[in-house]
Amino acid sequence: MITIKVNGQDRQVNAPEDTPLLYVLRGELGVMSPKFGCGMAQCGACSVLLGDEEIRSCITPVSALEGKEVTTVEGLPARWARHSGSAAKDALHPVQDAWVAEQVPQCGICQFGMMIKVTELLEKNASPTDADIKEALTTSGPSPHLCRCGSYAAILDGAHRAARLMAGEVK
Amino acid sequence: MSADLNIHGASLSRRGFLATGGALIVAVSVKPGAATAAAGTTLDATAPASWIEIHADNTVHIRTGKCDFGQSSIYTAYRQIVAEELDMPMSAMTEVITGDTDRTPDGGGTFGLLRTNVLNLRKAAAYTRAAVLTLAAQKFGVAEASLSIKDGMISGGGKAASYGDIVRGGDFKLTIPVSGDLMSPRGLLVDGTPPLKKPSDYKIVGQPVMNPTIRPKIAGQMPYVGDIKLPGMLHARTIHPATLGSTLVAAGKVDKALYPGAQTVVIGNLLAVVSETEWEAVSAAQQVAGETKWTEWKGLPGHERLFDHLRKSVDWTVYPTRDGRANRGDPTAVATKKALKASYNVPYHKHAPIGPMVTLADVRADGSVTLHTISQNPQHLRGMIARMLDISAEKVVVRTYPGPGHFGRSNGGSAGTEDEAVLLSQALGRPVRLQWMRPDDMQWSTQSSAMVADIAITLDDAGRIATYEAEHRGPPMQDDRLVGALLAGKPVIPAPGAGVAYGFQGGELNIADAWVYGTVANVREQGFGTDQLGEKSSPTAVGLRDHSMRTPIQFQQNFPRESAISEAAALAGADPIQFRVDHVDSPRFKTILARLRDESGWVTRPSPAPTAKARGKAAVRGQGASIMLRDNGYWACAAHIAVIPETGEVKVERITLVADPGIIVNPLQLKRQVQAGCLMGVSQALHEEVMFDEGAVTSTDWSSYPILTIAEMPELRVIIAGDAEAGIYGQGSESANALAAPAIAAAFFDATGKPARRIPLRPDHVKAMLSA
Repeated sequence: MITIKVNGQDRQVNAPEDTPLLYVLRGELGVMSPKFGCGMAQCGACSVLLGDEEIRSCITPVSALEGKEVTTVEGLPARWARHSGSAAKDALHPVQDAWVAEQVPQCGICQFGMMIKVTELLEKNASPTDADIKEALTTSGPSPHLCRCGSYAAILDGAHRAARLMAGEVK
Repeated sequence: MSADLNIHGASLSRRGFLATGGALIVAVSVKPGAATAAAGTTLDATAPASWIEIHADNTVHIRTGKCDFGQSSIYTAYRQIVAEELDMPMSAMTEVITGDTDRTPDGGGTFGLLRTNVLNLRKAAAYTRAAVLTLAAQKFGVAEASLSIKDGMISGGGKAASYGDIVRGGDFKLTIPVSGDLMSPRGLLVDGTPPLKKPSDYKIVGQPVMNPTIRPKIAGQMPYVGDIKLPGMLHARTIHPATLGSTLVAAGKVDKALYPGAQTVVIGNLLAVVSETEWEAVSAAQQVAGETKWTEWKGLPGHERLFDHLRKSVDWTVYPTRDGRANRGDPTAVATKKALKASYNVPYHKHAPIGPMVTLADVRADGSVTLHTISQNPQHLRGMIARMLDISAEKVVVRTYPGPGHFGRSNGGSAGTEDEAVLLSQALGRPVRLQWMRPDDMQWSTQSSAMVADIAITLDDAGRIATYEAEHRGPPMQDDRLVGALLAGKPVIPAPGAGVAYGFQGGELNIADAWVYGTVANVREQGFGTDQLGEKSSPTAVGLRDHSMRTPIQFQQNFPRESAISEAAALAGADPIQFRVDHVDSPRFKTILARLRDESGWVTRPSPAPTAKARGKAAVRGQGASIMLRDNGYWACAAHIAVIPETGEVKVERITLVADPGIIVNPLQLKRQVQAGCLMGVSQALHEEVMFDEGAVTSTDWSSYPILTIAEMPELRVIIAGDAEAGIYGQGSESANALAAPAIAAAFFDATGKPARRIPLRPDHVKAMLSA
């Protein structure tokens, strides 16, 4: 049996060791925000944070994660509360707030991975340029983060707003 | 109330008195004697299926059988239009219930949501408002004409009451006239002519209302279609045939040592693996697939021979020819000197949702069936599932959820997995969640049809268009048959074909791109249809199935037309925007073209650019334009691009889109819809082409069917300037999708001096164009 920390909680996993994290999260642990997109690390719909790094949960066997800490979109509010020291009830992570304020999603299936990737970026680079955001969502990982609806203009707006929110420049 | 009241042809009754609460609900009445008023036209009387419910606490519930795919119109524009028609505040529109066949009143396909579809709710709201006025007049003892409504308060004769006050204590039912067939692809339409509010009096329509579903979605609190679970549920993976026309020779067996919990299911040529756990189903399906034998089948031309095949090997005389509605004059009788003759090609496109299709089906021992899925036409899906199982539709319920956008693929009901999940659940007697893998979704779903066009334009001595002739050819663009039912040998709706009257299954090719150059005296546009490639020779009747996508047929006809117009402008030595201004007759087009010239950084001059080059390592730059008329909405686009001739790389640097789509219901959501729809069009222009060999689709994933990345996103300028008098609500995503490709192709011609008569502008195609 493997133990991984998911969104701050230790969770025991019964699945066979070769099971990709995505199926463990969704099937066994009931953590549903990472989505199945391609199963080949080609799209980013299944992205989660492993520590501070974005990974593709669809190709990451759970055996590689013993004792590691996984954050999904469900865990972003608590992650922000830890980082910022504030813990307002029902508050979201600034990236999520920005996604609402900018009305980013169309169908939304890719946005869980997009928000994870942008969170990773903003924790390392507090005021990214357009080029930084595009680089993060295109060439920094195993594949670009794909949006079929074409919400890229909104994602760019969302990422910039999230940076300002995290810097406390806007509310 | 002693007798039913007549409300503009609707019937208002009080079914009883209530000690607490009270409501007015809007139900449907199908015209007696109407030919379509057969089984399936009435709703389950036990289910709450009103269009609009007014509650005593002043809240309003809205129900529609249409489904939101993220563009939000159902949660934003629909609420605004109903609130406006009722003269109630937006805050009163507390709930929108969509797309569940047991909980919503109408069927029909989710497309053109603000064109015809919203008229059902708008009329239902207008009937409701009139009914409440009648009740208020009774209550106040005054004439209806003396009443007015503002912010949900009805006042007159010195008295005032809210909507909630009027219905409190009553159990009112307003029965409105409808026609159509609930489970037909087109669904029900509200009839009659209730008094509608004048657009000039609109206050809520036009506001930038936020989409209330975004917060719960991005917080992970709203389940998506793939997230639904049921107790006792099995996970399934389909093992699809080796080619589109293969049949099963021998199914592989599960290696029980490796996968003890997995088993196969075989129903005709439908093969699947199921397991208690999803990963075991995935793994065992891979193992079984490797040991399964299928017959060979070769019935497709292959993508490299596709356009040759369509031009040379198809008999285009089998299907009746369709003439364009704008045809006039006699192009063959006009003799001119300057002429453009050109042929254009648009390949197959995939809808390519980011998530492959998934359905959870529950067929119970009593024969009742529930599907948890995503669909743009749940009622027609319900009918098709009942037909497949040969059971009454009363036994079938379709529940829908948010999910990956698939842009029209299920507007006739099915996008894949629904039927397969039902057959598996029936066979196993347990709920079955079937998730297609990426290759299943790429290979076994429908695609947007390829089309070819031959266009001839002649110019008079003044450089104006004297004649325009276009012949458009392609397969029919809609096949709603259930593919799993076909594989399993179960009953399905008729295959698309010439003269097929069922739903959208006709095979003739309409001229869908509205003619816009009204000053041209001689116009002849013709459409030629054919069968789906491979379908007639396939033992399972599955060929390269087609389906509408975003701007169906119009995309495939507008690309050649607008590309040819840009080339004709060059032949005339005219600026491409000015050439269009000189040939359109609509003032709305002239207005947006002037705006496009101002906002896009356009340089007025003929194409090609003086700097145009088809060779070299240095980037060459160009500008191009396109226009389109759709749903009484006027659209114009300018593309600025760079081309590196030596590598064949095309970079779209800027897209400017100017739209006058009519009445702007929600400028915030419309902007997002237009941006997104436009970028999907850039993706199609640069990257998208379905590859296939003689038997199978070979575009199986994102590396063999690449789409636009955020790094390739151009600077995007969207200007929406709607004509509030246009008499139509402005729509976004569908129209915006079509404009980029012809504007980018025209910019390519401007940059290089070589016409781009096919998409995508991929480096290999570009190099071939530049060396031509």
